[in-house]
Amino acid sequence: MFARLVGESFIRNRRRKLLTAAALIVGMAIATATLTVALEVGDRMAREFRSLGANLIVTPQSDTLPVEIGGVDYRPVDEGAYLNEADLGKLKTIFWRHNILGFTPFLDVPAYVSQTGGSTTVIGTWYEHEVSVPDGTTFKTGVSLTHPWWKIQGQWFRDDAKECVVGANLAAKYPGIAIGKTLNVSPSQTAKAQFPLIVTGIISTGDAEDNAVLVPLSVAQDISNHPGQFRQLFVSALTKPADTLAERDPKSLTPTEYDRWFCSPYISSISYQIEQVLPGTDVRAIRRVAETEGTILSHVSILLWLVTIAALVSAALAVAATSATTVLERRAEIGIMKALGATNAIVTGIFLTEQLMLAIVGGAVGFALGAVLAGILGTSVFGTPAPPHMLLLPVVLGLAAVVSMIGSLIPLRRAAHFNPAPILRGA
Amino acid sequence: MFARLVWKLVRGSRGRLGVALVAVISGAAVISALLNLQFDIERKLTQEFRLLGANLVISRSSAAQTGVANQAASDALASPTLMDQSAVLGQVERLRTPDVVAAAPYLYVVARVGGAPVVVAGTWLDQTPKLDPTWKLEGNWIASRVDETQCLIGRNVARQFQIAPGGQLELSYLGRSAQLRVAGIIDAGGAEDNQVFANLPAVQTLAGTQGEIELVQLSVSGTSARIGAYTSRLATSLPGYDVRPIRQVTQAEGSLLDRTRLLIASMVVLILLLTALSVLATMAALALERRKDVGLMKAIGGPISRIVALFLAEVGVLGATGGLIGCILGVALARWMGQRVFGTSIAPRWDIFPLTIALMVGVALAGALPLRLLGRVKPAVILRGE
Repeated sequence: MFARLVGESFIRNRRRKLLTAAALIVGMAIATATLTVALEVGDRMAREFRSLGANLIVTPQSDTLPVEIGGVDYRPVDEGAYLNEADLGKLKTIFWRHNILGFTPFLDVPAYVSQTGGSTTVIGTWYEHEVSVPDGTTFKTGVSLTHPWWKIQGQWFRDDAKECVVGANLAAKYPGIAIGKTLNVSPSQTAKAQFPLIVTGIISTGDAEDNAVLVPLSVAQDISNHPGQFRQLFVSALTKPADTLAERDPKSLTPTEYDRWFCSPYISSISYQIEQVLPGTDVRAIRRVAETEGTILSHVSILLWLVTIAALVSAALAVAATSATTVLERRAEIGIMKALGATNAIVTGIFLTEQLMLAIVGGAVGFALGAVLAGILGTSVFGTPAPPHMLLLPVVLGLAAVVSMIGSLIPLRRAAHFNPAPILRGA
Repeated sequence: MFARLVWKLVRGSRGRLGVALVAVISGAAVISALLNLQFDIERKLTQEFRLLGANLVISRSSAAQTGVANQAASDALASPTLMDQSAVLGQVERLRTPDVVAAAPYLYVVARVGGAPVVVAGTWLDQTPKLDPTWKLEGNWIASRVDETQCLIGRNVARQFQIAPGGQLELSYLGRSAQLRVAGIIDAGGAEDNQVFANLPAVQTLAGTQGEIELVQLSVSGTSARIGAYTSRLATSLPGYDVRPIRQVTQAEGSLLDRTRLLIASMVVLILLLTALSVLATMAALALERRKDVGLMKAIGGPISRIVALFLAEVGVLGATGGLIGCILGVALARWMGQRVFGTSIAPRWDIFPLTIALMVGVALAGALPLRLLGRVKPAVILRGE
């Protein structure tokens, strides 16, 4: 009997049911889309911030003071400590190895270039270098990942060739330096060793590299006579904004806190893990980059959560309002049921069952639509669609059910006090 | 008579209208708060990006090679070209806009501390906290740009030479020397940790290059288009000099700003849709409720156009009142959100008021669309109670 009553109501009032369902679908679709985007946004924005390049620098611990202006180290080659290139694969073995997006070693060598007739800085680095990781795989990394804003005209050098890339200012100053020409580099004016390098491109970085010659790391090692070594390592890592736990000294943490700290991709825990695999190094965050990233990331995500809550409240209001409307419209029906002897419990039961069925159907359709909407949003904002989170399906269904029930319960409670006679009379 | 009828209608169904009013108010509040936030977010975010420090650099153009070479202690140092301090800084000062957060000249020299080379940067130390807001300092900042007796040193310099704040640092360069008191130790998390910072006149005296500087750093806030316009204005007034954006900073800033703005904007549009939907539903219910009143009015001879006008007026009043109250609530909400997210409150934008109110009246009237059916109402049927 109960089932028949509910079923009849669906068949006879198709238009009204469709209206409620439409409100539910739109409301829940928007709730799903905003929740999906809010869940994704931290990760997406963090990746976007990597366009700022490296956020960690690794240097030898027992080092003399680098004579560094505008990013180029002017120390002579026989001064200061070096790091070993062979150890670099270990970076991809730390706990947060997947968050290490790229790393690039640098070796700055003061050298003599015959075309400039003077001392010029030669910077040894990787463009796209295959690093073998101890677990047997290889990892491709280089300046394309840690310094994405460098612009090249022509081609980058191949990491295993005798080629080089010259800075834009240097190329502008000396007409003898152009793409296709050969540059004669030697450790000093008097040295016998000569390194002829073919210029493959001209680089503009907006920094000190514009006045330098960039060469493959192995070439710089040969020029400086420090095979397999480098001075500085730039690491670009995906991190989580620092909170109170991240700012505390790891030594003062309790074991549980320590586990939580170690297993969160804070910049401090990632640098700690790098120091563990590369002993004898000093790993520090490039504060300018790391702090800006942290501040803006946390602000944008708080903002987005607030907006998401606003969207959820609006969705709830919309659904509750339509639910309330349908109940109000059916006052006469309630009056007849009560006149025929239905108790308040039965009336409420019938209405709530109808709403619940609508909520489940509307919520499910809304979820599917919302996933599509989130995909569109993700594509337009970040270029790649946001994947649907199945975890949100029960959340959205629950929300739909609760909101539409609350929306209909309020007028139903009032209906409980109705006296059927005046309603049926039409007053 | 018309006004009295509207008033009676409003009073007569206070309960139902109350519900509709709540829907309109909450919708207006959310919309106006988000619009306020949307208009302000760009300004707030560009300010936050200034944490990145300088984004514009002025230096001697690489094509012109007429400057005096800075003979550095290390012969490895590529000789940079200097520029005339008064000419460049005069232009920078003349073109200064409120967007320029900080500007400071720089002169680098590789001096020696007890035989070891160390990079000394001469600048305006009063600008440093604004130019590099992420630097952490142990000790005190130097508040004056003419104080030639004090300096700030990088963390690694302090470790290397074992100097604490308040200690003395002796710098020597080509026979000249300077004795400076260390006011503070900088933790910059970058190359600056290896440098010594002193005021420009002190370093110029040490280097023997009075009135000359190597580069000027500026921190300019604004969208990438505005920074670009400022850069080209500066470049035209400084011919022979290179005015270039620090690409790492400007490029990332532009793309991140665009993405954040787009994200919030699309969310705002979705919420607008939802709010319109909920107001629409409430108003539609209200309109249907009125069928009986219409029947009565028709029965006693009211023309249909007048009846419809009556109800539209009622609905319009509802939309306007709800919109106004909602706007006030929304401004308060935006303030709170600004406080919560950015730590500073957001200035209310009054132009949002008419926009939101008009939107609410529009939505309320659209919700009253079923009133159109009133023309078909047959008084006899309605009054009979069907």
